Amino acid sequence: MSSHESTHPDAPVVYEQFEDIGQQQETYVLGMWSFLVNETMFFAPLFFVYGLYTWKHHADFYLAHALLDWRIGGINTFILLMSSFAVALSVHYAQKGRTRAQLNCLWFTIACAAAFIWIKLQFEWIPKISHGVFPNPEFIQNYPHYAMEHGVPAADPYKARLYYSLYFAITGLHALHVAIGIIVFLALIYLIKKKSSLITDYIPTEMVGLYWHFVDLVWIFLYPLFYLMPRP
Amino acid sequence: MATTHHEHHDDHGHDHAHHVIPISLLMKVFGGLIIGMALTVYAAIFGPKMPVQFMWLIAMLIAYAKAFLVVQYFMGVKYTTKLVKAFAYGGFFWATLLLIMLTDYGTRQWEPVPGWTPGEESALSRDLEIDRVPEDVQIHH
Amino acid sequence: MSATVVDKTQEEGLHEPHPKKNYLTADHTIKSWLLTVDHKRIAVLYLISTTFFFFLGSIAAAFIRAELTNPMGTLLTSETYNKMFSAHGIIMVFFFLVAVIPGVLGNFLLPIMVGARDLAFPRLNLLSWYVFMAGGTCFVIALMMGGVDAGWTFYTPLSSLYSNTPITLALVGVFFAGFASIFTGLNFIATVHKMRAPGMTWFRMPLFVWGQYATGVIMILGTPVIAITLLMVAIERMFKIGIFSPELGGDPVLFQHLFWFYSHPAVYIMLLPGMAVISELMACFSRRPVFGYKFVAFSSIGIAALSFLVWGHHMFVSSQSVLQGIVFSLISFLVAVPSAIKVFNWALTMWKGSVHFTTPMIYALGFLGLFVVGGLTGLYLAAIDTDVHLTGTYFVVAHFHYVMVGGTIMAFLGGLHFWWPKMFGRMYSEFWGKLSAIIVFVGFNFTFFPQFILGYLGMPRRYHYYYFAPEWQVYHVLSSAGSTVLGIGFLMPAFYLTASLINGKRAGRNPWGAKGLEWEHADSPPVTLNFDKPVVVTGPVYDYDAEKDSEMIRAGQRLVDMVKGEEEK
Repeated sequence: MSSHESTHPDAPVVYEQFEDIGQQQETYVLGMWSFLVNETMFFAPLFFVYGLYTWKHHADFYLAHALLDWRIGGINTFILLMSSFAVALSVHYAQKGRTRAQLNCLWFTIACAAAFIWIKLQFEWIPKISHGVFPNPEFIQNYPHYAMEHGVPAADPYKARLYYSLYFAITGLHALHVAIGIIVFLALIYLIKKKSSLITDYIPTEMVGLYWHFVDLVWIFLYPLFYLMPRP
Repeated sequence: MATTHHEHHDDHGHDHAHHVIPISLLMKVFGGLIIGMALTVYAAIFGPKMPVQFMWLIAMLIAYAKAFLVVQYFMGVKYTTKLVKAFAYGGFFWATLLLIMLTDYGTRQWEPVPGWTPGEESALSRDLEIDRVPEDVQIHH
Repeated sequence: MSATVVDKTQEEGLHEPHPKKNYLTADHTIKSWLLTVDHKRIAVLYLISTTFFFFLGSIAAAFIRAELTNPMGTLLTSETYNKMFSAHGIIMVFFFLVAVIPGVLGNFLLPIMVGARDLAFPRLNLLSWYVFMAGGTCFVIALMMGGVDAGWTFYTPLSSLYSNTPITLALVGVFFAGFASIFTGLNFIATVHKMRAPGMTWFRMPLFVWGQYATGVIMILGTPVIAITLLMVAIERMFKIGIFSPELGGDPVLFQHLFWFYSHPAVYIMLLPGMAVISELMACFSRRPVFGYKFVAFSSIGIAALSFLVWGHHMFVSSQSVLQGIVFSLISFLVAVPSAIKVFNWALTMWKGSVHFTTPMIYALGFLGLFVVGGLTGLYLAAIDTDVHLTGTYFVVAHFHYVMVGGTIMAFLGGLHFWWPKMFGRMYSEFWGKLSAIIVFVGFNFTFFPQFILGYLGMPRRYHYYYFAPEWQVYHVLSSAGSTVLGIGFLMPAFYLTASLINGKRAGRNPWGAKGLEWEHADSPPVTLNFDKPVVVTGPVYDYDAEKDSEMIRAGQRLVDMVKGEEEK
């Protein structure tokens, strides 16, 4: 897309469909929020379905949830909160034009995101999947053994499978968003370093930041719902 | 979203002084989030035993408070236009419309239908006593 | 009584040695089309692809109608028939109706109507078309693998556990199509909020823009719900988990709740853009401002909001709770209020207007009649007691075809004929245009009115034989014969509109004498960035004067009479 020639070499690029930089920045922020509204409605039915079945099979879901470790979930929560803080800082530095500090914050965020996914895989998904605790038909045989090994009482395997289908669906979708976040952050850093004409103001950082905070928001609800279920 | 229609953006020329959130405030918010997380864990794992509905309520209230902090400060909604506020909170509001479905599940027992009829293993009787985990079953965290 | 007013300056300008470049002639390579970020070119891409899908869906419809001429159902097997009506429904809903008016007319006109140079996010707009095509490709592959048989509603547990057809691939296709529509809606919302030209206040926007805006709101609030729901069905199908299957602890009605949470608003994703088109046509060809502009504008927003609160009326016999059925029935009646506001205001727009019976106006009048029938039969289905008898019969089929075909497709064809000169700079044959509009109207009624009677008599939908009631054959044959007429009516524009590109008369800037930025400030076809100089809006919308128009027509008629009188002497 071609752009208007800027009069000042450092002035942000205004795309041809916009009148001025103010309109462009407001439009981009509004567009990002429309996308996040859409994302909210994308996650909402999953949370609703989870809530509904927790209501129906509360006791079994409670027993099934004992295989999740709240400490690991807690560490991941802490990591995500830190990354969110780092992104907020990077927007702050981008607004002030301190590119060096901004990039450091973004690298820290990527490190947090990678750590999140590594912990999730290493301590949660891989041990479960390798023992067959994955919501497929074999789950019904595998789950009681796995629960016994871990010294927790087993729930009705069919209901536990429902719990773990929702667990894998929601955390999987969330982890997918984290992975997309890593790619987007890397692209952002690359473009900033290349001094690309796509990034001439703080708005791209702000938009990626909004996306990342949304990923954090999902986890803020996910953590108590899955890991800290109260005993019925 | 009728509220958004009162906004007129005909004048694009005005000065767009973007609010830069100071680092000190960001740190306070981060501290608030960590406290919120600690409170959630405390209430769920170490706190006094309370009725289950009450436990859910506390967990969700803390989650909402944390989400509010993130949206207001980290996402900067506090300092943006009314329009962006309407979108940010409108999305959350609209998602709650899904809860209308609960009236279906809550009132099916009035005229019973197969599948979701209240039974021994169902929470639908609105009497969660039936659905308790027996006392002798222990889960160690 | 012709509305064709040729703009002299334009006509002369065309004979210059180097005609001005417009969006069509700006670049001629294939690459310039496939990588374009110009909203007008993307609209043309959408026009080509949705026409293809309409053709595909029509073939399936032709097989359905051919099968039903015989009570024994001898042409197709039961399995093939199931695949036919599923293909017809899925293609027509997800790959044609949802995309067609926003994708073609909305993409083309919305930026011009608000005085912007392009949509807010042009690259996202191009991505939307690619995602749409990816979805379409997935579904076409699913068709080639034998087709799916779960109907367009994908009800569980048939779709999630029992069907042996490539449902997952079809779900992925619909998922992609959903995201294409989300991107379009997002673009429309940002454009309407932030890209309006100076002086273009909310109440100076054409009602077309209001309608597209309301559609955009439904798209971003509703479409993600169906996307995630279909994803859950796909997961259930792949891993045999039990979210929606009763014997595994799930609830199939939950799928219906989530499905209709989107799919009832989706009815308005299809219909609101059509209503938006009709408002423009009524104003232009009655030469009057739309009666009750603000009511019509806010009724679009009202319909969009209410559409999210009535989904349960699709589920009266699905074992949802009786209380909820009653509540949904009551709320459903409320939708009649904003819909009626629109219909009455259109009728009053014509009152004391100077009505020109051009091709687009004939389509618009056809829309009005068919939408009234479709809307009023909707009340029978919103009432819980009558719906228990009529649900799952041809009465429902006839009702939603009156709304979807009689509403959306009539409006789309009307809009396409209205803006065709603007899009391609050529006039089509008015004779063939009027003829096809009348044939479509007549053929449509022949096809679908008998289905009301069939439904009332009890013919179930999705059955391909009715040997138990051979007396229904007369209605089915009537319907099938009518569908042939309807098919001819739909095929005619394909020929004369294409022909107009080659030998059509140059249209000039404003062939209809219409008001609006796209007619008064943009060329036909528009230049790449829409306007030669920035637009500043100073006057009200729909600044028509019916009395002056009638006076001019009468004066012209007197002139013709006078000349004739002279000749006779």
